[in-house]
Amino acid sequence: MEQKSSIGLGLRTAAAVICALIVLFPVLWMVAMVFKPADVMFARPTVFFYTPTLANFAYVIEQGFVNNLITSLALGIFSTILVVIIGTPAAYSFARFELKAKEDLFLFILASRMAPPVCLVIPFYLIYAKVGLLDTFVGLSLAYMTFNLSFYVWVLRSFCRDLPVELEEAAILEGWSKAQVFRRIVFPLLRNGIVATSVLCFIFAWNEFLFAFMLGGDSVQPLPVAIPKLITAQGVRWGEVAVVGVVSLIPVLAVVVLLQRHIVRGLTMGAVKG
Amino acid sequence: MVTITATTTGQATRRNSAALYPYLLIAPTMITLVLVSLVPFIYAVYLSFHQAKYGRVTDFIWFDNYVMLLTSGTFWNSMYVAGVFVLIAVPVEFTLGMAGALVLNKGVWGRSILVPLLFIPTMMAPIVVGLLWKIMLAGSWGVLSYNIIERFDLVSGTSIFASERYALLALVFIDIWQWTPFMMLAFFAGLQALPQGPYRAAAVDGASQIQIFARLTLPLMAPLLFVIGLLRFIDAFKIFDTIFILTKGGPGTTTESPSLLAYKMTFEFWNIGEASALAVFVWIIFFAVCTVFYHIAKKKLNAF
Repeated sequence: MEQKSSIGLGLRTAAAVICALIVLFPVLWMVAMVFKPADVMFARPTVFFYTPTLANFAYVIEQGFVNNLITSLALGIFSTILVVIIGTPAAYSFARFELKAKEDLFLFILASRMAPPVCLVIPFYLIYAKVGLLDTFVGLSLAYMTFNLSFYVWVLRSFCRDLPVELEEAAILEGWSKAQVFRRIVFPLLRNGIVATSVLCFIFAWNEFLFAFMLGGDSVQPLPVAIPKLITAQGVRWGEVAVVGVVSLIPVLAVVVLLQRHIVRGLTMGAVKG
Repeated sequence: MVTITATTTGQATRRNSAALYPYLLIAPTMITLVLVSLVPFIYAVYLSFHQAKYGRVTDFIWFDNYVMLLTSGTFWNSMYVAGVFVLIAVPVEFTLGMAGALVLNKGVWGRSILVPLLFIPTMMAPIVVGLLWKIMLAGSWGVLSYNIIERFDLVSGTSIFASERYALLALVFIDIWQWTPFMMLAFFAGLQALPQGPYRAAAVDGASQIQIFARLTLPLMAPLLFVIGLLRFIDAFKIFDTIFILTKGGPGTTTESPSLLAYKMTFEFWNIGEASALAVFVWIIFFAVCTVFYHIAKKKLNAF
């Protein structure tokens, strides 16, 4: 019996490792491409072993991709901070209080989250063209609110509901003001939820393509937009493209390691506690 | 929860401010969402009733844009593309995800290393996912094109993305690659949260593995399956980034999803009126799906 179960465990592990390799192979291949010299890039048959080079990095830096990187970081951080400031009180309120037409408000939030970005980008583009928000930092951050603010409020609400009400009630009986209750009880207890949810918001902003592509321009051009610009009919500098792709993976890897449980919770809109 | 301290003076104003407090907290969010989501929607509705080409909004033309849209082959083609995409990708992701979750749940060595790795494809930028597969499946030099597709002569022509027959299936495959690991982890989290009591009872009664899965696990997981299924359905229907970088809707219109069609109508043909009609149409379908979904999830399944 003992032996049988350990054979089963071994088989399951082998299957899991094979699946993981299938899943990760393309990612690893792109990481390897970063160090690939140009002459073996298109070799037939495929060359698996080569002397690594850093030439691809040099070109990428030369092309000013550091600017794209800074834009991406700044946009992600700024838009996420806005979302946290605006959304945290709302999430708390939805979790704690009885509101009139709560269901309708909720549906509105859900609908904002679900709306196809391409539907939004058309009116956004025309409105922005009129008010001069095209290719501006503020304009793009605002556009990211459509999916990030609604996401943040919805998911953080599920974290709020995990907090014990008793503490807050006791504090109010003690004569604390509502602001004190929020600052000294709710906020500290909610910190993990806020960090997890806002980091996911950052990643969504970091990964976003369509808004950045249509509403951005030469001065506001985050990383995902820089990638297709390298892929032209005249030819593609694949090594350089891979470098940009790998750089854009770095925060994703950090999140995947640090936030595992919360990713499921976030991506199922709080339906799975994780 | 809201407590009001009784004082002789100003009781009414306090009561008022206490009643307003929850609304004050949600006001900034609601105002922002009205600006960034309701206003664009209303503007899209306005545009969809107008003759709007090349950035000039001219005549009010009632439903002409909608009529044009709904009688055009390109629109129904895009619906067909999205339909094929969703109806193959989502069930496959579900099945493989569930199978993987059951295996994970039975126990695997090194699970704590495996789990974060499996999140990578889902958390990556869709544009980078497209890029990855452009590299893997590039005509002639792509590592999979050369070593598998060409060797076994699976697809004729330069690249799988140029094949009318297989381009859409390649995109489906990429979606499956991207989302199955996530489905697996989400179902796994669901399995881990199930109560142990019923399983002990079933074991005592001598129920078979299949009976346990069909009569116990599936019903207990129903709310979760429903939520994940619908979120995935909606996301798959919206797909844009990977198609944009890989095929741009081609060859011909064989991979032109509704999102891609709306994009092309707007930014390639500048037919903003009809594009807005398409946007509003898709929007309304989504809103209807969301409403039904929300009420079922809330009332019947007690999810959220």
